[in-house]
Formats: sequence, structure tokens, C-alpha cells
Amino acid sequence: MSAPVITFFNNKGGVGKTSLVYHIAWMLADLGHRVVVADLDPQANLTTAFLTEEEIERLWSGAGPGRTVWGTIRPFQEGEGGLGSSTLTTTGDDRLALLAGDLELSAFEDDLSASWPKCLDGDPRAFRIISAFWSVLQSAASQHAAEYVLVDVGPSLGAINRAALVASDFVVIPVAPDLFSMQGLRNLGPALQKWRTGWRQRLAIDLPGRIALPQGRMDALGYVVLQHGVRLNRPVKAYQRWIQQIPDVFRTSVLGSQDHSPAPAIDADPFCLGQLKHYRSLVPLAQEARKPIFFLSHADGAYGGHLQAARDAHGDFAVMAERIMERISEAVEPRST
Amino acid sequence: MPLSDPELEDLLADMESDRVERKESAQAADKIGQAICAFANDLPDHRLPGVLFLGVKDDGRPAGLAITDQLLQNLAAHRDQGNLLPPPSMTVRKVVLHGQELAVVEVQPSNTPPVRYKGQIWVRVGPRRGLANGDDERRLNERRRSLDLPFDARPQQEATLADLDRGLFSDTLVPSLVPAAVLAANGRSTEQRLAALRLTTADGIPTTAGLLTVGKDPLRFLPGAYIQFLRVAGDSLADPIVDEKRLDGPLPALLRTLDELLRINIRVAVDITGGPLESKTPDYPVAALQQVVRNAVMHRTYEHTNSPVRLTWYLDRIEVVSPGGPFGVVTTASFGSGITDYRNPTLAEMMHGLGYVQRFGAGIPITRKGLADNGNPPPEFEPTESHVAVTIRSRS
Repeated sequence: MSAPVITFFNNKGGVGKTSLVYHIAWMLADLGHRVVVADLDPQANLTTAFLTEEEIERLWSGAGPGRTVWGTIRPFQEGEGGLGSSTLTTTGDDRLALLAGDLELSAFEDDLSASWPKCLDGDPRAFRIISAFWSVLQSAASQHAAEYVLVDVGPSLGAINRAALVASDFVVIPVAPDLFSMQGLRNLGPALQKWRTGWRQRLAIDLPGRIALPQGRMDALGYVVLQHGVRLNRPVKAYQRWIQQIPDVFRTSVLGSQDHSPAPAIDADPFCLGQLKHYRSLVPLAQEARKPIFFLSHADGAYGGHLQAARDAHGDFAVMAERIMERISEAVEPRST
Repeated sequence: MPLSDPELEDLLADMESDRVERKESAQAADKIGQAICAFANDLPDHRLPGVLFLGVKDDGRPAGLAITDQLLQNLAAHRDQGNLLPPPSMTVRKVVLHGQELAVVEVQPSNTPPVRYKGQIWVRVGPRRGLANGDDERRLNERRRSLDLPFDARPQQEATLADLDRGLFSDTLVPSLVPAAVLAANGRSTEQRLAALRLTTADGIPTTAGLLTVGKDPLRFLPGAYIQFLRVAGDSLADPIVDEKRLDGPLPALLRTLDELLRINIRVAVDITGGPLESKTPDYPVAALQQVVRNAVMHRTYEHTNSPVRLTWYLDRIEVVSPGGPFGVVTTASFGSGITDYRNPTLAEMMHGLGYVQRFGAGIPITRKGLADNGNPPPEFEPTESHVAVTIRSRS
């Protein structure tokens, strides 16, 4: 199997998803794995976490096709030939490569949206459009000899995300313990299910010629709880109440479980990949230094207690990254036997 | 003295030797770093260089690897990336043995063991490579006693453990220098940790680096270990002095106050009328100044001198003068040409762990680039036998 594609997806924004992808990507690399992290969010927030404004400007406005996801897809989408190979951007760690995002990616939405029904007519171009993200990710993965491909997407149930999910083997769902995020989780499960079956239907269509297409597994590996203490400067009310609901909502909405026996408590739930606390004062330090919070040093302003908190964060993220890898290998193994 | 071709051929053929490792390619950078680390530690006490061959299979047959210049550069970069600390003495070259091109990395045993790769001590145990256990670490610490040590790893005989700030050591140095995985795995005592990081000898006598890094009062033993800051309202020392400060204290405090001082003294001009967007231009780029002064602290001599690092801030320029001329393989002639050496390897390791040095050998390039990007003239280096002076000029 080629490198598994893991998409971090939630249709409620502002839960800290992008920051989670950023940190998990660094952690996987720190644990010795080769990782491609791809920014398929048209807001390109993940890209800004890695690069300074000047560096992004160079990526977006340099001569020739942009060195971003959209830079690779655009010539093909405009009918000027096939999909080229992806352009990766280096990061501070040679095991970690970034597939940079692009604000212009939103221009792809209409075409993706129109191509989805056209697949049912057996239109090969429609299939190529829908699987364009997949092709770009696979090209990036083989160039970098990656073991994992992590994908950040925007918070929506639109056509861009549908195509991103079709390209994914696995899905990790970040949730915040509050009303909005729980409602998001309830909407997301059925959407995932619909896309999965929709893609299967399309895969069954007999196409002229051979087009390499993704399987569109979209297996939900589990969820990560991101605990924010405050929202709009007001403490979130009784968030423990929401936390307790997550295992049940995840089972019924995302896994589509019909089992009505009570779900396990969150601490015992195998689908809970991690519960992250809010690393309050470390976040601005890390953004300033453009590095993950667990790599903050004395020189970045992490003194005393902050330094200790940064080291603790290393442990928290390491445990979560190990868990994600473990769940992936469990999901991959049975299929190969 | 590099090994001769016949010696290398013998080593290549010797399947039993623990002075040799063979790699088919340069793919796994971590494995290569660990191998270099293990040779530098020389736990079996051969006192002979260890050799890493690239381009051969485990059984000694050629693997058909193309030895490119890029490959050799990547291998050499291991020394300066900051993962191997203190930086080991090693050479990288291409040789042709039995008509086959190979890359050879020759690593000299370190005279300040233990050497760490990414915070962990790797050693050779027979034909295998492994992590040092407590006993291995103690043997490596003991070994320093019989070696000709750099000044910063030598004991300050009058000092005792009471002169070191243990709180600072365990709260700041340990979490900065020891990876979390290592901390969790071994419950070593503070004394053991101090010795293993070369801040004390194996007998618990503080070293120069120990006093500089976590000493309660480093100046008591090293009277020149401070930075003299002077701000002059003019372009010569005869002009009125508007500010004068002495920065001292243990390394983390010294470097932190230094950063604050530089930031406060840099002036940022804001242009709100010259264009559609306001533009901010500092008179000096902070990154370049930090490099110059941090490097002065790291590379200066602390031996036989009571002279501080002098940082003099004139109206039109900044002068940084550090005691001690170019060191080791660096000479006044080759200064700044990319050759690096370390007068204070332990101090370098501490500054790297604390995050004040990202990679070695990058200080001068970062300074040049920072100044150029900000529109300042290039830095002027004046290395002499007894001092290194750097002049940085303001944007005009």
C-alpha cells in the first residue's frame, strides 16, 4: 500500500484543527518518520504556520506555475495538459515536507461541484477532476518517499472537501467540547457516509481506458478532543457535559452504529486518540518562533515553567502520534492478510 | 593523520572490527549520525579513528553507490548541524578501493566524551551500536581525566558543587539538553547528570563550562566572563557616554538579558508617508546582532584573560570585540571562509541546547544575510592574534 493519507476534518471551524495537524506532522517527523503535510484548505492557514509572509509571497507570485497544490492542478483544470508532478516546500526538518496551500484553490470549487454528477455519466475528465487531489498527494508522497500524508482541510461540507476526502484513506476528527462542535459532528457523520457510498457507486462505472483512482476509504480513525477554556472571552459552560457526550455521538453519527448499548467513558474509548489541553501562553511564543510548542527553547522565551510545559507537550503529542500510527496499522493489517 | 589506502582496505575487509561500519547508501541520516557518535565516544578505548564506509554492503561487497560531491557535503554537514555535540573531529573523502568508489568518514575519538547524537549517547558494543547505560556513561566521564581537555571542560580546582545553582540546572538545562524520552527512561541523579554534561568532572568538581552555565557567581572564578555594553552619543570613544551596563550571570540569564538589551537599543523607523503602506525599518537587524554577540560569548577565550566581551554602540556603528584570536584550524587568514573550530565545545553544546545556536558554522552567513536583507553595509571582521573584532554599520 502507498503511504496512507490521513485527513483532519471537522465542519466546525476554530477548534484548533490546523494547529493540531501542524503539531502532529512535526511530531511524526520527530519520531523518525517521513511525512508530507498538505494544505487543502483554501484559507491556507497551515501554510502560514510554516512560512513567513515573504516566503509565501514567493511561492504564490513566482514566475511559472505556482509552487502550490493549485499551481499543479491549475494547468490541467484549464485544459493545458495533464497533471504535472507536485512541488514540495522544505521545512526545518528534512523528514517533513509541505505541500503548500493556495488562496486561489477556491476557484476549483465550481468545477469539482459540477464534475461529481458527471462521473455518473462515465465522463473520464470528471473522474480526473475529482481525483486530482489524490493524484497530487500521491505524487508528493512518492517524491518525498513519505510514510504518512497528513491533510488539512477547511471547515465545510463543500465540493473541495468532498474531493479531499475521496483522496483519503483515513479521517481524524478534531472536536471541541461545546454545542457547535457537537452539532458539527452530527452533520459530518452522514456527509462522510454519503460521500463514501457516492464514490463507490462511481467506481463501479465502467470507464473507457484506465484511470488510476482512489479507493475513497475515509475510515474514521477516531477523534481528538481539543479543550479550549475560553471562547469569546467567556468560559465555556459545563464543557465536561459535552465531553461525556462525544463517544456516543461519534458512534451514532460517524460510525453509523445501530448498537444502543451505552458508549464507554471517554478515557476508556479506543476512538479517543487524545485529549489536548490548551497550551495557553505557549501558543504565541510558538507562532512567533514558527515552531511547534514542544520545540520551544530558552532562546524563544520559554523559561522555567514554560519550558517544563513545552516538554510536557512533547509527551502529550508523542502519545497521540503513536496512537494514530497504531490505529492505522491495525486498520491496514487485516486487509493485507 | 588520515588513514592510508592499504589501512582502509584492511579495515574494509575486517568483518569483525568494531572500528568499522558499512552502509549501502546515505539514506538513513539518523543511522549515520549515530555511527559517527559511537565512533567519537570510542567506548572500547581503541584511541584510533573509527571508519564509516558508504557504498558497500554489510558483507563488504560494493553496492554501486555514486559518490557525488553533494553526498560528501551532506556527510560533512553532520558535524555542524548541531545534532552531534560536542562537534566531533572527522574527515569525509572519496576513495577508490579495489576499483570501487566509496565515501569514507573517518571519526577521531573525542577528547571530551561523552558525545551525544540528538541528546543520546551512542556507543559501540562489539559489532553493534547501542545506547550507553549508566556504567558506560561513567567510563566515558572518567576517560576525560586522562585526556588533554579544552579549557571549558577542565575543572576549576577551587570550586565546589555548592558554587553551582542546582535549581537552574534541573529546571532549565536538563529539560533543554536531555530529550524527554531519555529523562523518562533513566533516573540519574543530578550529580551524574552534571558530570555527563561535562559541567563537573567525574569527581564532582565544577568545570569552567559548569561555572559559566549554571554557576551562582561565574565572575568569582572567571573574572572576564561578562559583556561590557557602552552606548556613545557620537562616533568615537571621546564622545559622551549615554549608557553603560555590565551583563553577567550564568549563561541562560546572560543570553536572555543580552537579547533584551539588543531589542531595546535597536531603533525602528516607521515610514507612513513614503508609500501606500507604512514600512518599518530597524537601524540594525536583531538577528545579525544576536549572532555576533552570541558567537563572541561562545568562541571567546576564558583562559588567561580578565577581559570581557566589549559591545560598543556608536551613533553610526556597533563594535563587538571578543578576547582570543581565531582558534584551532581557523587562522586570521582563513577566518570567515567557512572553516569552523570550537575553543569551547561544551559551552557550544549548552548554547545549542538552550536554542541560542541553531547550527554550527552558520553565524557569519546569517550575519551577512541579515545585514544585506535589511540594507546595512556588510559586516567587517578583524581577526587578530589576540582578539576578534566585528564592526556593523547602521543603515545610512
